[in-house]
Amino acid sequence: MEIVMPKMGESVSEGTILKWHKKIGEAVKRDEIIFEISTDKVDTEIPSPVEGILSEIRFNEGDTVDVGTVVAIIDSNGEIKKDSSEQKPEVVHQPAVEENKIEESSKHEDKTQSILSNEKIESTRPSANISDSIDLQMPKMGESVMEGTIIKWYKKVGEQVKKDETIFEISTDKVDTEVPSPADGILSEILVAEQETVEVGTVVAKLTTAAKTTQISEPKPEVKKVQQKETKAEKTKKELPSSMHENFSSVKATSLEEEEVGNSSLNKNKSTSKFLSPLVLNIARKENVSFEEIEKIKGTGLEGRVTKKDILNYIEQRNNTKSESGETNIRETQQQIFDETKQEVLSSPSVTPSKVQAVYSSSEVERIPMDIVRQKIMQHMVNSRDTSVHVSAMLEVDMTRIYNFLKANRDEIQRKQGIKLTYMPFVSHACIKALKEFPLVNATIDGTTIVKKKFINLGIAVAMEPNGLIVPNIKNADEKNIVGLARSINELAEKARTKRLTPDDITNGTFTITNYGVFGTIFGTPIINQPEVAILGVGTVVKKPVVVEIEGTDTIAIKPTMALTLSHDHRLVDGMLGGRFLKSIKDTLESFSINEM
Amino acid sequence: MSNQYQIAVLGGGPGGYVAAIRAGQLGFKTVLIDKDNLGGICLNWGCIPTKSLLKNAEIYDNIKNHSADFGIKVQGLDFDFTRIIKRSRDIAERMAKNVEILVKKNKVDRIRGFGKFISSNELEILDNNGNKINSISADKIIIATGARPKVLPSIPVDKKFIITSSEAMVLHEVPKEMIIIGAGAIGIEFAYFYSVLGSKVTIVEMMDTILPIEDKEVSETLAKSFKKRGIEIFTKTSVEKAIVNGNKVLVTINSNGKRKELSADKVLNAIGVTGNVEGFGLEELGVELFKNHIKVNKSTYETNIKGIYAIGDVIGPPWLAHVASQEGIHCVEKIKGITVQDIDYTSIPGCTFCQPQVASVGLTEDKAKESGYEIKVGKFPFMASGKAFAIGEREGFIKIIFDAKYGEILGVHIIGSEATEMIAEAGLAKSLEATGESIIKTVHAHPTLAEAFMEAAAQAYGEAIHI
Repeated sequence: MEIVMPKMGESVSEGTILKWHKKIGEAVKRDEIIFEISTDKVDTEIPSPVEGILSEIRFNEGDTVDVGTVVAIIDSNGEIKKDSSEQKPEVVHQPAVEENKIEESSKHEDKTQSILSNEKIESTRPSANISDSIDLQMPKMGESVMEGTIIKWYKKVGEQVKKDETIFEISTDKVDTEVPSPADGILSEILVAEQETVEVGTVVAKLTTAAKTTQISEPKPEVKKVQQKETKAEKTKKELPSSMHENFSSVKATSLEEEEVGNSSLNKNKSTSKFLSPLVLNIARKENVSFEEIEKIKGTGLEGRVTKKDILNYIEQRNNTKSESGETNIRETQQQIFDETKQEVLSSPSVTPSKVQAVYSSSEVERIPMDIVRQKIMQHMVNSRDTSVHVSAMLEVDMTRIYNFLKANRDEIQRKQGIKLTYMPFVSHACIKALKEFPLVNATIDGTTIVKKKFINLGIAVAMEPNGLIVPNIKNADEKNIVGLARSINELAEKARTKRLTPDDITNGTFTITNYGVFGTIFGTPIINQPEVAILGVGTVVKKPVVVEIEGTDTIAIKPTMALTLSHDHRLVDGMLGGRFLKSIKDTLESFSINEM
Repeated sequence: MSNQYQIAVLGGGPGGYVAAIRAGQLGFKTVLIDKDNLGGICLNWGCIPTKSLLKNAEIYDNIKNHSADFGIKVQGLDFDFTRIIKRSRDIAERMAKNVEILVKKNKVDRIRGFGKFISSNELEILDNNGNKINSISADKIIIATGARPKVLPSIPVDKKFIITSSEAMVLHEVPKEMIIIGAGAIGIEFAYFYSVLGSKVTIVEMMDTILPIEDKEVSETLAKSFKKRGIEIFTKTSVEKAIVNGNKVLVTINSNGKRKELSADKVLNAIGVTGNVEGFGLEELGVELFKNHIKVNKSTYETNIKGIYAIGDVIGPPWLAHVASQEGIHCVEKIKGITVQDIDYTSIPGCTFCQPQVASVGLTEDKAKESGYEIKVGKFPFMASGKAFAIGEREGFIKIIFDAKYGEILGVHIIGSEATEMIAEAGLAKSLEATGESIIKTVHAHPTLAEAFMEAAAQAYGEAIHI
């Protein structure tokens, strides 16, 4: 995009460049000041109209040029970006298709989007109001059956109902039967009580179907919302997980809603319980405050609105309680992703503090409120434990070949390829091979269905200082060789350390490797990264005396040895599969040959 | 009429009568006490009558100075000053009567007299001669006694030659020469008025600029416009003394050590106002004061004495009718127990009704910088507005100060035709926490002057279309 000397007034025909605020090659955000000019009327700073890289500066500071002259070029990273800047105000105004495109191709904008979409969560709700209501009638159970008795309601008013899920049970003179729901929705009204007998065809209940959302795999947002409203008692218990879930799923779900509700975000907000002013939204965006967090802020404004003051107070508080601000966003997103997959998140035991709490004086202990990230890690770990039946299998791998290879070639590879090889890419490579061989380990469980993934997105657990962890994944890891994997691992680790991971980096993993060996740990029993079904723990490589048989004689030899642990979900991966999987990795590693490089 | 009330309001200005009406609406047994016509200074001796006068001046100004531009031929143009003043008085009177009706309609008792505290919940009512005519008791008493022009010993007001705004709006003839001390809204409005009608006006202001609370750029633009009219302006200049000598007033001014003597037929003292806190028993009750105003909690408007409240000019700046009214409503609603958001004192519009008009809300550019904001400024001159061109009002501009970090509107400053009407949009945008983006994306009708507001926002983001 060409940046021209702007016209600062009717009679102004030229301007002097006072100062360049950006250098060639520097990244420029939209509205960030690129340069400063002076005209006979006014001095002013010129902001960038687009996001991109300042690729060319045509005039030096002090140069005077005519209005309209191109003074610089900004490379705005392709067409889509350009679109987004032209469509201006924010992504939220773009039609759904456009948005998807952006989601796919410019991932680093996702951060903004995920928060923007919070605004859209609001927008999805009104659609619940315009949604359809289905009358549930006393079904006709046979030609001669004229009436039926409701034996039992399986669902309460306000509860979410899936298609084909049993809503109520009836009894007729011929037969007792359970009546399934004709659609996804919310049981909005029960008109006939248990033990009451009514004629066939009588409307016994009403089901509200969120017409639009049902098309999307996850109709949760509305549902949860209603639930929270209706059953206040359960609210506290469920609030955290469900709202997180709501938050994330709507990121996906809302694009369809967009066209329906129209483009005015103001209208959308108006019809919901929470109006968020443009300024509050701006602040949320800039400070990475998620909608879920905003929901929890007590608004002091008109009609309980969250005002600028409220959100700034909240941010200040949050920053105070957080050990390290800034890294939350990614980690939170990750947690949301974890939570998205956990549909059946119930109240987690750890949220309720243990009843046996010793009482200490304040001089003996320091009581530190958990920051949000910690709370979420806690929840996630408990959820994983409660979801998967963890079993750990371990074996030791003789790493002699790789040890020798690295010893001989590491420096040269670093010199030639610019990459410092560790054991991790070798383990990853072997693991990928095993995943291909045993695809059940690369699967997830959906109810009673096994979802076998045809792609391998290999998660690598990365510890984050001072406390915390994150699991970015290597997309289509099976397409990479060992050096390629090494690069990807380094890249992700670097991105994690510099907090540049995008939500995309941490979503949609299929299997995770955690390398606790870097801390010197020999054995571990890792917790599965939901919704995956197994995780490989990698111990440190230590030289060990092992008994080897040489020409029929047992001898003690010194071998660089590495212990691997496979924690697998026994619901899907049994001991045999787990064992074979591990054995496959072991065989690959032990038989390593330079040809695999 | 029982003499026991739930709420008694002392003072019937825009703070008091509004509070009383709201109290009536909320079902309180309410009494409103004022010795004069309702409406207070604002309605009787301020806002309304002066707007009437200024309209006269504006029409005359247009015909006199711009009729040729519009192809209108005028011969023997003249004005009848008595009619001008009478129109203004008639309007004030009509309005005051309307307020009496409104008050009655809302079942508020009205006592004409001077209310004086006997105790924290009792008032005695005195007539003009100071004789007791009545007494009442009330659970809550709201003081809305307002303010009056501040007077300095060096400028002894005699209401004949050295006058205040009240006299200035009922003069018998247009003075040949007038010195206005103080370049706040009141001084500036009279400067415009009398200058248009032919007075040789001189403004003396102690601060750096005229309308010193406005954005510097606005003040400077106005000063330029006033100087073009022939108004002489002394800023950073103090008045040492004013002495009446025959039919003239001699005024000694001091500008940075340099003395100068001016003379005029009339001197208007417009240096500011001071709260009406004396003579009705506040001292005896121990109501806490500061700088001649009543100290209150600015959320509940309660004074340090339980059950006694105060609102409006008597509690200090910004001395604006619309603030007084809003405070009155808030005070009563809080008494009722209604949860209301506190008044946002950063979003109060201020207007000066000279031509070009000046209106603003929020921080000036200098104040924003002083407050530590990194700012982004958008400005759009009416020179570039088609509508302004069409109606021959190309003077002035709209300027918006944004917080660069979050895009918050920190301040909006308008100088130009209809500025005082246009500021409403800015006030709404600011108080509802709109951002530059929201203004830019709000469709503004064409062709209007208000489009300049949208363009000014766009200019801040480098997106202005017409400049």
